[in-house]
Amino acid sequence: MIKSLEQLAELVKDKKDKPKLAVTWAQDENTLGAVEKAARANMVDAYLYGDRARIESISSKLGLDIDLFKIQHVDNELEAAKETVRLVKSGEADILMKGLIGTDKFLKSVLDKERGLMKPKAVLSYVCAVDVPDYHKLLFITDTAVLPFPDLDQKVAMAEYAIEMAGRFGIKKPKVALIGASEKMTKHFQNAVDYAIMCKMAERGQISLCTMDGPLDIFLACDKKSVEIKGVDTPVGGDADILLFPTLESCNPFYKGLMLFGRGELAGMLMGTEVPVVLMSRSESEKSKFYCIALSCLMAGKNN
Amino acid sequence: MTLRKLSDLKILLENKPVKRLVLAAAHDTQSLGAVLKAAANHIIQPILIGDEEEIKKLAGEGNHDLNGIRIINEPNIEKTSEMAVKMVHNREADVLMKGKVGTSTLLKHILNKSWGLRTGHLLSHFAIFEVKTYHKLIAVTDVAMNIAPNLKDKISIINNSVNCLNILGIDMPKVAVLGAVEMVNESMQATMDAALLSKMNQREQIKNCIIDGPLAFDNAISLESAIHKGIKSEVAGDTDLLLMPDIEVGNVLYKSLVFFARAKVASVILGAAAPIVLTSRSDSEQAKYDSLLLAAATAK
Repeated sequence: MIKSLEQLAELVKDKKDKPKLAVTWAQDENTLGAVEKAARANMVDAYLYGDRARIESISSKLGLDIDLFKIQHVDNELEAAKETVRLVKSGEADILMKGLIGTDKFLKSVLDKERGLMKPKAVLSYVCAVDVPDYHKLLFITDTAVLPFPDLDQKVAMAEYAIEMAGRFGIKKPKVALIGASEKMTKHFQNAVDYAIMCKMAERGQISLCTMDGPLDIFLACDKKSVEIKGVDTPVGGDADILLFPTLESCNPFYKGLMLFGRGELAGMLMGTEVPVVLMSRSESEKSKFYCIALSCLMAGKNN
Repeated sequence: MTLRKLSDLKILLENKPVKRLVLAAAHDTQSLGAVLKAAANHIIQPILIGDEEEIKKLAGEGNHDLNGIRIINEPNIEKTSEMAVKMVHNREADVLMKGKVGTSTLLKHILNKSWGLRTGHLLSHFAIFEVKTYHKLIAVTDVAMNIAPNLKDKISIINNSVNCLNILGIDMPKVAVLGAVEMVNESMQATMDAALLSKMNQREQIKNCIIDGPLAFDNAISLESAIHKGIKSEVAGDTDLLLMPDIEVGNVLYKSLVFFARAKVASVILGAAAPIVLTSRSDSEQAKYDSLLLAAATAK
């Protein structure tokens, strides 16, 4: 079982058949730094699509080893998107990563019905593996980035993705906490209603193998003492592996709080695509960016 | 405690004062017969309100003994209902029963705000069956009163029934919330409500019972069927109470149990200050008698 992001990064290094990472519109300082680090760690082969001159000048400014990059010059970001998406779709590359291209344009290429990367009828969502020193294990949280107000079907997809990711880390039956403000079941909160339905679906095997409970607040999900004090009978019991949030606006501040105040690091990626797609916020730490690439290597499945 | 037969309900009456039953519009062959038979067996102690002359005539025709039985002469049917309800309200009687009066008339008085039998709970119908092919009595609700209960109604219906089963000595009744399938399906509201009720029970927002659902009828009553489907459930195969999604399903199940499975049934209206016996003309003599037994066992 992979118990930390550091361990994750170690695990995906130095593999014989290392994955090919295609970077869309690569001339971005943040992106190039993280990609070079991953390539230097012998995690990926880096294929950069972008403005060759800009890539070279940034690399020299940052002192990056440009020999670690295979650069393909393209004239504009749309061409970069078209080419890199085609590359991963055809299997010539294994992982797609966003560079300087705008997120909306990038996602548009990913979501393109014919040439894009979505699995049939899949929901696009985002899962993060978070490593916080004060929690006794990795915490998978969703959705920090894509679905603003997930409905029941989308929440089920989010749970499935998180369970899938936890599975890749070696967690066979993850404890899934469906997060709310309280553990009480009330029909006036649509999220609580959705959660109750999901719990039953999990019980009936309509959701992949897991121990699911919700609504639960963060304390009941992650703190055994709170479970004792409150006396709530919950199978998650303060030992959650996965936290599913009701909205993007609750999940996003939660993870950012962990990063900023909890000395956390993360590894996150898009889910619902045929191949791993790395998409991260500029303000992520250098380490987290590196971990995002490591995660995509794990999820690409070539190194298992 | 496990009740296997409706006659087992009689054990619950032992060493307790005989409950007083008031029959509204008692000049009715069927209900009068059942009440007098139950009285003769010390199940209840009746108070008959109605046309005294008619009551005496009907009792005579049925060879029933009216000796020592209190009769209040009131030929006006509307008045008999009001008087009967008031007697229960004033704790002069423990059980209310409908005689030759329309259900709606009696209900109007039951629901009277100043002297009716309201408790703040929803009124619901509770039926308990003795079926030869099941290992214990099985309760079914609601087959006659609430037409299309919403989630809130279903909570009240469960609470009424669980309270009643608790009184009957079943401490943690197993409640199966019925659906057409055991899976949650967004197109079937009954399965969605079932999931919510299960969660509310898990969170102790519905107490003193174990709820699981959705369960299809076969999963609810047959452990073999539940195992076959791979359902892990404390309730499956050992259900004490079946919660119906609506009155159509309930009514058809009720009648198929009676007509096809030759089940014996007793039923009572719950949620009022006292149990109410509202048997219909089509109920057998046995069903009426057993309903009185149930009402007496349930009454405070």
